[in-house]
Amino acid sequence: MSKRQTMRQRLKLNRPSRRRLARPPRQRTPVGMDFTAANLPVALSLQHCSACGAAQYPPREVCGDCLCPTLVWREAETGGTLLAGVDLHHSLWEFFKRRIAQAPWPVASVRLDCGVTVFAHLALHTFSALPAKDAASLPADTRVAVFSHSDASRNAVLIAVSADTPIAERGQRRAIAQQLELTSPAEKPEGI
Amino acid sequence: MKDYAGVVLAAPVSFGYARQSPRGANWFIGCTLAEMLRQAGLAKDDVDGLAVSSFSLGADSAITLTQHFQMSPRWIDQLPYGGAAGLVALRRAARAVQAGDAEIVACIGGDGAAHRAFEGTAANFSNFTIDASFPYGAGGPNTAFALITRHYMERFGATREDFARVALDQRYNANHYPPALLGHKTLSLEQYLGARPIAGPLHLFDCVMPCAGGEGFLMMSEDRARHLGLPYCHILAAGELHNAHRDDPVQFRGGWTEYADALYQAAALGPEDIDLLQTYDDYPVISMLQMEDLGFCAKGEGPAFVRDTDLRFDGSGQQARKLPHNTSGGQLSVGQAGSAAGYMGIVESIRQLTGRAPHNPVSGARHAMVSGFGMINYDRGLCSAAAILGSAQQ
Repeated sequence: MSKRQTMRQRLKLNRPSRRRLARPPRQRTPVGMDFTAANLPVALSLQHCSACGAAQYPPREVCGDCLCPTLVWREAETGGTLLAGVDLHHSLWEFFKRRIAQAPWPVASVRLDCGVTVFAHLALHTFSALPAKDAASLPADTRVAVFSHSDASRNAVLIAVSADTPIAERGQRRAIAQQLELTSPAEKPEGI
Repeated sequence: MKDYAGVVLAAPVSFGYARQSPRGANWFIGCTLAEMLRQAGLAKDDVDGLAVSSFSLGADSAITLTQHFQMSPRWIDQLPYGGAAGLVALRRAARAVQAGDAEIVACIGGDGAAHRAFEGTAANFSNFTIDASFPYGAGGPNTAFALITRHYMERFGATREDFARVALDQRYNANHYPPALLGHKTLSLEQYLGARPIAGPLHLFDCVMPCAGGEGFLMMSEDRARHLGLPYCHILAAGELHNAHRDDPVQFRGGWTEYADALYQAAALGPEDIDLLQTYDDYPVISMLQMEDLGFCAKGEGPAFVRDTDLRFDGSGQQARKLPHNTSGGQLSVGQAGSAAGYMGIVESIRQLTGRAPHNPVSGARHAMVSGFGMINYDRGLCSAAAILGSAQQ
């Protein structure tokens, strides 16, 4: 499918007037689809270089360190450190527009212990010590854990939670993703 | 590095700024070119080099434009470098003219702004964007810059009032630059602070307004410009470095740190000799990074620097230290016309240095620093470029 056709389809899916149900962006590159496939069975899977072992993110074709052409998907440690968290009050995408109409959407950048920087949806409700439930009150260098879960478009996305949150079980991870309302489409109740 | 002697910049054109337009990028680029030719008194075939930057050409490219415009350039380049595109075009075109590969190079950035086109650009910006940033809130570059801004505020103690200094003085400049899309409105500190939130610490007036427009200039030999009777300015120094400091977990500096000293050395000038500064201001924090990295103040002192510096074009502010900054209002107040935004600082500087800015003149401007920053592929801007331009009357 050419980029142009993908674009047309994508805009159709984002057209608010056409859909009662809006979903997160579905488009991914081929390696992005591999990311979803590799993350289905585990909490977090990243590409690792078969020569130097370096973890890679975002998904890519060759090793960013040694340019080795063979990257393998392997389970990765979920621990990391918060770089910065912010609440989004604006989006270009209908799914997030509808979610933001209810409450700001928190996201974070996290430095994983394996050395890569990821963007992740931020599960603020898992930070029990937080005085206010907004991303701005979460200080940098907070320890977090990052795992993947399918969103309502059936793509794997990353979610950051407090480091002490139990995420070993699939059910625990699903509960967090559901509480973020990531797994269900955003509905426009009054219809179109 | 070889200097840029013998080549000059002329015929600065800003064309057709509009919030939304049914016209495509080809129209804005073509009309910008026509205006440049008219200004220079040249025929289309006198231009034998073409450098083009655009995000919205779609299936077209610099080479397809040659048939659209019926030109036969013997030197061509397309520069998809966003906010650094103009400066990269300037460097490439200057070398082409010096080497004799082309005599007159038209350097043009132009983009359309069709209904909902920005959304398409943001969603398809790059592979890393598609896989790792757009699915997380889909705000375009806002998310990455909100994270960079938040980090900068925490690390260096910057406040929203500091960022307001940049935005407010630029709005004052835009009030004196008729083509600025937001130039008919004033902006007060209360309005700035009370604006609706967009992403984290970023509020409405921290963000640029995507729009349509074109910016362009001609690169030619000094002899040719003199022969044509065109006002022109010189390139005293120029540099670029991309994806510098790639091990910084969060971006708080750009490649300028690595070559700013070399620029000043090549131009035999210092930061205190710069009469006007044009930074790439997609967000105020990025202008501060450029002021720091280009030596106007030390790292982390950007907030104090803008507090103590009058950034208006006419020096009418209260602060004792004057540094006219983004004298046309920058993207924050003129609008961000896609790739044209990367040419805006150069075009405005040529106008200032050749005395062709009737509404917003910087009096006695002799040296301009122009800086570019661009391409938010994932979590940071990758391109950095800068040039010092000098007026012909040295």
